[in-house]
Amino acid sequence: MSPSRILAIARRIAQGFRRDERTLGLMFVVPLVVTALLGWVLKDTKDTVVDVVIVNEAGAVGDRVVTALTDAAKQPDSDIALTATVATEDEAVAHIRDGTGDIAIVIPSDLLATVQAGQRPTLTVISAGTDPAAETGRFGTLQGVLADIASQLAPPGVTPPVIPQVERKTVYLSPDASQVDVLAPIFLGFFGYFFVFLLTGISFLRERIGGTLERLLATPVTRFEIVTGYSLGFGTFATIQVIVLTLFILNSIDVPSFDLPAIGQHTPAFSLGLGVASAGSPFLAFAIALLLSLGAVNLGIFLSTFARTELQVIQFIPLVIVPQALLSGILWPIERLPDVLQAIAHVLPLTYAVEGLREVMLKGSDLSTTVVQTDLLVLGGIALFFVALASATIKREVA
Amino acid sequence: MSTMTAPAPAVEAVNLQKRFGQIHAVDGIDLALSPGRIYGLLGPNGSGKTTLIRLLTGLAHASGGEARILGTKMPSRKALGTIGYMPQAEALYPELSVGENLGFFARLESHADRSSIERVLDLVELRDRKGTPALELSGGMRRRLSLAVTLVHEPEVLFLDEPTVGVDPALRVQFWTHFRRLAAQGTTILVASHVMDEADRCDELLFVRSGKVIGQGTGAELRARAGTDNLEAAFLVLSGLDPEGNPIEPRADGAPGEGESIGGGGPMAGGGRPGAVL
Repeated sequence: MSPSRILAIARRIAQGFRRDERTLGLMFVVPLVVTALLGWVLKDTKDTVVDVVIVNEAGAVGDRVVTALTDAAKQPDSDIALTATVATEDEAVAHIRDGTGDIAIVIPSDLLATVQAGQRPTLTVISAGTDPAAETGRFGTLQGVLADIASQLAPPGVTPPVIPQVERKTVYLSPDASQVDVLAPIFLGFFGYFFVFLLTGISFLRERIGGTLERLLATPVTRFEIVTGYSLGFGTFATIQVIVLTLFILNSIDVPSFDLPAIGQHTPAFSLGLGVASAGSPFLAFAIALLLSLGAVNLGIFLSTFARTELQVIQFIPLVIVPQALLSGILWPIERLPDVLQAIAHVLPLTYAVEGLREVMLKGSDLSTTVVQTDLLVLGGIALFFVALASATIKREVA
Repeated sequence: MSTMTAPAPAVEAVNLQKRFGQIHAVDGIDLALSPGRIYGLLGPNGSGKTTLIRLLTGLAHASGGEARILGTKMPSRKALGTIGYMPQAEALYPELSVGENLGFFARLESHADRSSIERVLDLVELRDRKGTPALELSGGMRRRLSLAVTLVHEPEVLFLDEPTVGVDPALRVQFWTHFRRLAAQGTTILVASHVMDEADRCDELLFVRSGKVIGQGTGAELRARAGTDNLEAAFLVLSGLDPEGNPIEPRADGAPGEGESIGGGGPMAGGGRPGAVL
């Protein structure tokens, strides 16, 4: 072992960094940006107001709950707002579907009788069921308010104050939906985006540094032809990827246990695929994921302009991917982000893809839904924007 | 034998300039290359040969002046169909086979008929490697494939940037035989090189130094003008150096090489890089 040889190697790396300012910059800047962003999101996440809908089946007794809730909502720092009082569950569900209510609480007709009999009443709570994490938070907020109200409304002589049992219902999915069901749409959007961006970025960078782009440009090919050809080529593979991923997410094949006599063991039984039920059209989900991927192809071409080596393309991952993962509504609902970050979220393609995929796969929306239409249009617009951007970076002059 | 009298030049440059910041990579070059002739572009590394070719092909935008190919002002996408450009870098797709690389570029030139591809494969003797990925070829074979890609659409004007680097002597002779045949058919060829024994195969030479043409003529003319019997020494003398590459002191006011040749001229920037010229 020669220390001087070891030092020579270490020195060689330091010398390389000195010439590669971009890598050096990214090495320090990227983690700072990403960490700062994460810190910002975590610190400044807003407590949003929970829009409550009350289904009053209990008449006058229920009115007292409504009044108490109304008073609670009027408190200056109240976390709840009472959006409507309706008579049936169906009406409450309609509010949740159209977004005017986050959570509905059903006051049963037998409330008074149950309480007077000294039993715990059962309250039904209805939520959308598409975002368990957010809904659990809202439910916690509501529960705190309800506990206060219950102690106020408790009939004299009933001690301790009754704490209602809660039965959860959801508008979409089931109340016991696993995290997988809810995250499936995100897998579809996220992986398509990520891999396509990475592959195109590296592939196009190789054209730039290997001289083939220069050679292409010495033929009568146009920039638009290059970008469109790339979109078609990588788009084809993105399509196959999205199809495979969609099939894996939506289907499940049970693989039975096999005996392996040679070693006297048997393989464990398992199932292949997630078996998530898509409420809406798999084709529509596929279309959303594909539009997202086409944007990623051209984003890759565009960003390859700013890289000199393949290593640098890889360094763009945290810059391109992490903010989208943090801000596009995957981890936190967008409306709970600080205002500035909300504005950023609304220019990120993944935001629209996640929203659209959730809409289609979880809520079963189809093309007639405004949200889905908007998401498709925006994603198409973003893809076109990146096509233009990518074209602009392919100049006849490749310095 | 001046080219100035030729009726319609295939390649023209008028006061062509390219600046990168303070650096004048191409510093006011005038050219008129006649059809069917082979021109050698000679000069040290960094003298502006590649930049000049990139300006002529329209791959780079000129900072001043203009370039015309077959009468069309560059950059012009239409004119690109008549140009064959062999860059210094191999510029091949390593994962594609020899045949696939050729087929790809031929299709971009709308010239993908089987016979064109077979013709160039025979020319560069890679027919038996048609299915081999470019990655697995030797350096010389990749050079040959790169040339084949350049020739597949039968261009009228050829720009070859150091085409014979890494090519063995026997094949180099073949390359030149073919260049000569193409020229006889009317193809105009500009070959950038720093190999002196190739220079004498050209009909005419252009000496380039610091972005200027410092001499143009046949090898014999340039040697006579410099008063030496070898091209390397001629280049040095025309650069304003003595035949060993040392600066002449006191420096001559008029560059010795300034003659009837187009462009160039003027006192050379002294100091240069003695000994590292070619």
